[in-house]
Amino acid sequence: MLLVVYLVGLGLCVAANTASGTSRVVGTLKDRLFAPWMVPLWLDLGHDTRLTYGLPEDADHHVEIRRAVSPPARPGKGPATAVLRFPATGDHSERGARWRRLAVATVRAEEDAEQAGVLPAAIGAGLFRAAGDDDLEVRIVRRVAPDYESARSPRRDETALKVRVRRLAGELQLIPLPPAEEVAPLVDPAPPTGGGK
Amino acid sequence: MADRFGTSIVALGAALSTTWNRFWFTPAPARRLAVVRSLAGGLGLLLAWSWAGDLIAWFGPDGIVSPEVLTAWRSPTGLSLLDAARSSAAVWAFFLLGVVLLGMLAVGAWTPLVAPLAACFWASLLHRGPMLVGPADDILAVMLWCLALGRPGDALAVDRWRAGGAGRAAAPSWRNGLALGLLRVHAAVIAAAAAVAQLKADVWWNGTAAWFLAARESTRVDLTGLLAGSEIITNVVTHAIVLFEIAFAAGVWNRWTRPVVARAGLVVWPLIGLVAGELMWGAAMAILAWACVPDEAPER
Repeated sequence: MLLVVYLVGLGLCVAANTASGTSRVVGTLKDRLFAPWMVPLWLDLGHDTRLTYGLPEDADHHVEIRRAVSPPARPGKGPATAVLRFPATGDHSERGARWRRLAVATVRAEEDAEQAGVLPAAIGAGLFRAAGDDDLEVRIVRRVAPDYESARSPRRDETALKVRVRRLAGELQLIPLPPAEEVAPLVDPAPPTGGGK
Repeated sequence: MADRFGTSIVALGAALSTTWNRFWFTPAPARRLAVVRSLAGGLGLLLAWSWAGDLIAWFGPDGIVSPEVLTAWRSPTGLSLLDAARSSAAVWAFFLLGVVLLGMLAVGAWTPLVAPLAACFWASLLHRGPMLVGPADDILAVMLWCLALGRPGDALAVDRWRAGGAGRAAAPSWRNGLALGLLRVHAAVIAAAAAVAQLKADVWWNGTAAWFLAARESTRVDLTGLLAGSEIITNVVTHAIVLFEIAFAAGVWNRWTRPVVARAGLVVWPLIGLVAGELMWGAAMAILAWACVPDEAPER
């Protein structure tokens, strides 16, 4: 009997944990009858390992941290704009994969009212010490591969999320930053008229 | 007429009951499950290593995955023993205890106690950082619970040596049959769920999914030159992945195809993992494939 119950639970978990969503009947049955004991055991799993859909969100993501306010430039050396990257470039390890998952989760969570902003703030606050500053710019970058038709093209970096996280008087503040293209100055494409003689 | 119908129903029920009992409760030798135990323990140690480097950055007192993050993220019924670790030392102590459990599981020491404890540790670790969890972690959790149901310490184990039976095989147990049956069910379900998930997307139909896998920076083996040079190879690799997943999910239920697809899985799953940049997932699936390989004993 226990086996039958478990197998039904397994089926409902697979049906309910898909990227496509689930019906209210399946979701309710799973949540009421099976989730209370399958979730703690980490058995409430969809196993829908899609590997890729070829979408930008399936591309590799990473976290970049830099000081929000650059320290004054030293004579002859220019401003110090060191960037911490998680995972490091060329890190193919499972450890690096966990940072990539964190970056993807951070971007996806922005679509959820309850989760939006939580992870970016946590990443910033968690990395204050590593960055040596309490005022950081957190950027999630996705490295998008070209389509197959343009396979020889290089990957391009896109900013999926950019926020400023700072601790002011012990209080954590999250300031969303618009993507660079939204604040870039408009350049008038019209050539100079040659007036003003 | 009604009598004949009733008799048929009773006969069908009896046949189903017999098949059910034969599949789940036929005693099985411990050797195959013991190999699964060793490999799962080894995989657990490798995966644990991938958590160790940033353990405090994630779960420490000022770590990224703070209690506030978990409140927004974790299911209400999710819980982790690691929540009680409030200092860096306590986090490390819990983690190292778990590593010791996985090591003991790999060598088969005090297995009846260690297997469920290792499963509890692993579930706790994953619940502490759910957004960091990958598909290999999920499969390992499933394997550890299955191992806890069986008697994987009855062969190739320190337990067997301690009991003085190193040279003799332990008696087959229905618990081993149950554990292997559950592993086979999960192997088929995971392969089928992966195939279904993939077939929702155009790239798996138009044959370019392999390109998007290979073109990721995180992929260990750079196949972009090969795939960019031949659309046919790209298409073949893409379709081969899905076809194998379907063949595996269905093939492990037929007595003629099971030995072939299960043994093929030992090689093909790691290859898929390599191409997809999910090597640990491929390794975990290979361990499940090993659990599906039939023994020389009569077919269950």
